[in-house]
Amino acid sequence: MRESDLNGGIASSGGAASAAASHALSVNNVEVIYDRVALAVKGISLEVPVGGMVALLGANGAGKSTTLKAISGLLAAERGQVTRGDIRFFGREINSLAPQARVRLGICQVLEGRRVFEHLTPDENLVAASALGSRQDLVRNRERVYTYFPRLYERRSAAAGFLSGGEQQMLAIGRALMTQPRLLMLDEPSLGLAPYLVAEIFGIVRQVNRQEGLSVLLVEQNAIAALEVVTTSYLMENGRIVMHDTAEAMKRNPDIQEFYLGGARGKNFHDIKHYSRRKRWLS
Amino acid sequence: MYFLELAINGGLAGLMYSLVAMGIVLIYKSSSVPNLAQGALTMLGAYVVLAFAGSLGAPMWLAVPLAMATMFFLGIGIERVTLRRLAGRPIIMILMMTLGLDIFLRAATMTAWGGSGRPLRIGISDDPLFLGPLLLNRAYVVGAVVALVLFVAFVVFFRTRRGVVLRAISDDYVASWSVGISVERGVALSWALSSVTATIAGVLFGSIQSVDQSLALLLLKGITVAVLGGMDSLGGAILAGLLLGMLESVASGYLDPLLGGGTRDLVVAAMLILTIMIRPHGLFGRHDIERI
Amino acid sequence: MLYRQAGIFHTSYAADRALFPIPFERRAVFLLLLLALSAPWTLSSLALTSYVLPWLIWTAAVLGLNLILGWAGQFHFGYAAIMGIGAYASVHAARHGVPWEIAVVTGGLMATLVGVVFAFAALRVKGLYLALSTLAMQFVMDWVISHVPAISGGVSATLQAPPLRLLGQAITSEAGTYYVALAWCLLVTTFMLNLRRTALGRALVAVREKDYAAAVIGVPSFRFKLVAFAVSSFIGGVSGAILIFGFYHAVTPEQFAVNVSIELLAMVIVGGLGSIIGSYFGTAFILLLPGQINALIATLARLAGADLGVETLAHIPHMLYGALIIVVLLIEPMGLGKLYGNVRNYLMVWPFGYARK
Repeated sequence: MRESDLNGGIASSGGAASAAASHALSVNNVEVIYDRVALAVKGISLEVPVGGMVALLGANGAGKSTTLKAISGLLAAERGQVTRGDIRFFGREINSLAPQARVRLGICQVLEGRRVFEHLTPDENLVAASALGSRQDLVRNRERVYTYFPRLYERRSAAAGFLSGGEQQMLAIGRALMTQPRLLMLDEPSLGLAPYLVAEIFGIVRQVNRQEGLSVLLVEQNAIAALEVVTTSYLMENGRIVMHDTAEAMKRNPDIQEFYLGGARGKNFHDIKHYSRRKRWLS
Repeated sequence: MYFLELAINGGLAGLMYSLVAMGIVLIYKSSSVPNLAQGALTMLGAYVVLAFAGSLGAPMWLAVPLAMATMFFLGIGIERVTLRRLAGRPIIMILMMTLGLDIFLRAATMTAWGGSGRPLRIGISDDPLFLGPLLLNRAYVVGAVVALVLFVAFVVFFRTRRGVVLRAISDDYVASWSVGISVERGVALSWALSSVTATIAGVLFGSIQSVDQSLALLLLKGITVAVLGGMDSLGGAILAGLLLGMLESVASGYLDPLLGGGTRDLVVAAMLILTIMIRPHGLFGRHDIERI
Repeated sequence: MLYRQAGIFHTSYAADRALFPIPFERRAVFLLLLLALSAPWTLSSLALTSYVLPWLIWTAAVLGLNLILGWAGQFHFGYAAIMGIGAYASVHAARHGVPWEIAVVTGGLMATLVGVVFAFAALRVKGLYLALSTLAMQFVMDWVISHVPAISGGVSATLQAPPLRLLGQAITSEAGTYYVALAWCLLVTTFMLNLRRTALGRALVAVREKDYAAAVIGVPSFRFKLVAFAVSSFIGGVSGAILIFGFYHAVTPEQFAVNVSIELLAMVIVGGLGSIIGSYFGTAFILLLPGQINALIATLARLAGADLGVETLAHIPHMLYGALIIVVLLIEPMGLGKLYGNVRNYLMVWPFGYARK
């Protein structure tokens, strides 16, 4: 699948360049350290194809948010550093760029926990995010966002801090869309939301992905919901990638079912206990 | 009658204190730094106007905007050189840095221009205004009007795109970074605007009490007004200035004869203590005092 | 090379918890003590009375402020007022015939009383607001001292201080006053050094880091903040008293005004928050350096033939003082004490620096 494509491409430099350029995002062997002592991400590689929708799954503390922040450049705010590896956006290395420069190139991260500007109205939130563009861009993008999220339009004049969780998540995604991204990165959008809202929001994101060819990298703990909408998925544990496959294959994989999808159908307790003991992930 | 005259004149003077307070609020809103050098900037602004008008012979209507432009860039420079390195450090160091700036700017100004007071004429006549039987200080009226106009200008500014960006920065730094807002530029801009406000305040106060070292003492009044109104509320600064001005004027009008003078500062200090004891975040402040 | 830790193996808890576990430092401190005790004979009279004496007294005060600011993490922008209360109370007591030692302690207790009463109210808030309320207290104290004749002896009056008396003997010689100041400074330094290994010190550090977390594990943070205020106010009051009796010999309201508070803060910050040796460095820096550089500039100006007016020259020390604060904060926000610590750490393992990360 993708790995074999990449392996074949690495043989010649021309092939590598074309392979890299065919990916919207290409992360190679990235290592992230916090406070110069805490190793959070231990050398991961992943790709997001142009126009693709990829999930990055894993439990708490696996290093998923850290990976996103390494890509978007927000690590510095938490005293983290990328100490090894490189990150390429449409073939161009972005390791040394400031966060604003990366946003200008087209990478936008929707932060965990929404982080809307609470004292501004949703309309002003959208305006604030369009700082890089022209007036016409602002009007056009705002129209686009309100089309995708009609509920935001209804609540556009209330202070954003008073919106419900789902509306805030929509606002956060809409705000990211205002920056005209080519790669949208979502950090746990389903956090604290009711299942029907999760389905609605994921549906809108998939719609944006299909209609505009926007590449999406989705970080989620909620593997069930995520695997419904993405094409391929990575699985992270303890700072490493331990699995990479299509969404269908991952859904069918018995280990994934066991550990992340609440599966384990038709087994008795004895089998479950021994299974969990026998299986060891690469760590 | 005496009471009313004291109150109104005090209120007008208080609105002028709001000018200094607005400068402090602007910086605190965007970067959470209480700028204790605001008094020194006010004084420096007045001296820069004098420099343009006196040594370079520019007429006042040109000197003031030139000085405002100079102070605009000085504000950016100060933020870039001194405060940016201390971002994220404990607040005591930031406070100390602004205090150090205050001391340095005051002494540098004295070194460059000498200690004697100089007059600053901006064309306001000395004749008092009469509101019925009440005698109003014309300079105070002009100052109060300027303060209100500036306040309205800021309110309008904060509705423009740049203003919304500044408000976003004051809400959440990291979220601002994530949507491509340059937090550094926003903070620099707020320092620049604050310096310009300080210059305007310096010009107005300088025309009333002549330009000398005592202008820097406006810091105490400014910070009391800022705390009373809420450290991150411009509207609060205006209202608090009005209140404090009236209180200071009325109280010292009645207490001075009893206690032998100097009660103005005492009233201001007492007001500061009372505000902090009773309602630390002021009338309209919205941020918590402590984030757990 | 100098600090070699090799071969130092402690065999008892007492040895391990000693104040200066490394022999080199023990010897260095002993040497310093010898130097300090012999100062009246080795230093010139000018150096002793104008530089070293005020340096020691101000260091004691700065150590007291460091206790509340660096160790307990509470802001105090009104320390000069506390010193002033101590000074005035002790001078009044001495003028009324109280023995000198008791007068000084009275001054300290008076300062403690006022400091604690104020702290009760002020400690409801934290951070900037605590700083502002202590600043406001400073202003109120200024006003009270200058406007209440019973305290100040009238507006802009100077209150003459009676001579220093230990056990009834008047001590008027330079050496005598110097030894009194040295004794007080050493006492405060020893107290602060020991703080590290007492429960009080640990409690203060816990309160400084996160007071609600400290409260959760059983350290009553409000009480310890009050204790910190009380102890540092006592130190400040006694230091103020000794300053008047030993250095100024007369007390006026200007000596303990707002700018003195700011100067004390500058000494603490430049020296390093919570650093004891930093207090010594910081005090020397702020107290002595501007004057020296000013003299240097004046000499250079004279040599170059330029004529700097008296007025210009008068403000340059102030400018240097402000510039010093800014520069030190930019270079090393943790102050001179940290710079010293860096040098010490480097010398501890030299030339095997690669062994230590």
